[in-house]
Amino acid sequence: MSLAPTTEEVVAPEGHVAPDVPWVTIVWNDPVNLMSYVTYVLQSYYGYPRAKAEKLMMRVHTEGRAVVANGPRESMEADTEALHGYGLWATFQKDS
Amino acid sequence: MARAFRRRGSGADVRYVAQLDPDEREVVASLMEQVRGLLEAPEAPDHGDDEFSGIVAGLGIGRGDPLAEHHADVEHPRGHEGAPGPRDPALDRLLPTANREDEQVAAEFRRLTESGLRHRKAAALDTAVAALRSQDAVRLDEAAARAFVTALTDVRLVLGERLQLRTDDDLDLLEELADSLDPEDPVVHAVALYDFLTWLQETLASALLGD
Repeated sequence: MSLAPTTEEVVAPEGHVAPDVPWVTIVWNDPVNLMSYVTYVLQSYYGYPRAKAEKLMMRVHTEGRAVVANGPRESMEADTEALHGYGLWATFQKDS
Repeated sequence: MARAFRRRGSGADVRYVAQLDPDEREVVASLMEQVRGLLEAPEAPDHGDDEFSGIVAGLGIGRGDPLAEHHADVEHPRGHEGAPGPRDPALDRLLPTANREDEQVAAEFRRLTESGLRHRKAAALDTAVAALRSQDAVRLDEAAARAFVTALTDVRLVLGERLQLRTDDDLDLLEELADSLDPEDPVVHAVALYDFLTWLQETLASALLGD
């Protein structure tokens, strides 16, 4: 299951980026960050309910990574910066 | 003997309180100050080892890999492209690459955000150090607790990098290794310290979650 909405492939005219291609913020597993702390961060920063925060945390833990948010690029960049502030290993990229 | 963080009170009066010995408080504060120094240092691509060896100087740990044998067949998860030039790997854990697909995007992100991130991390570390040095118990309001739990993360990230933790299994391997070493071995001390910080952070994160 992915949190990212399924998008139809958009063929953009050359030189243009399809405006509706969403970007994603990904949190990667690492050997240092604690499960409780990752849950706390997702709950605290995103305001996700505990169950959702734990589900995403478990996905990071078991699958090595999880998409924790999607939306416009600027928002994903802001998320990534904030998550780095918390010490999580976050990246942003165009949804694929 | 340390006592875990516990939540006391509620609402604006909530406090997160732990009891640590003066020695324990000083060790944690000193590690936090070393991480702060790491964040303050200007880019030092060529002599990162000299600049940053201080983080474990007191522990006598070099930049060697205590799990070298095990790591021979492990693909390191770090090492994604995008970090230009050699840089202290611990700094890459504090300020990681934000885009693994596009080096230019990653560099631009770093240019725009890194200074602010270093600043905010340093401020959180300052808050935590002040709390450790100001009184007998560690007593934190909500904002200080949030700074403290993040400061603990940053210290553990750096220590974990120095201990070459790469996979979720590495800590277990390192603890097994530590069991077989002389109790005076610096690795034994470093692993004990890492475990102590993990325990402390776990109790604070749980308290913040309201468990």
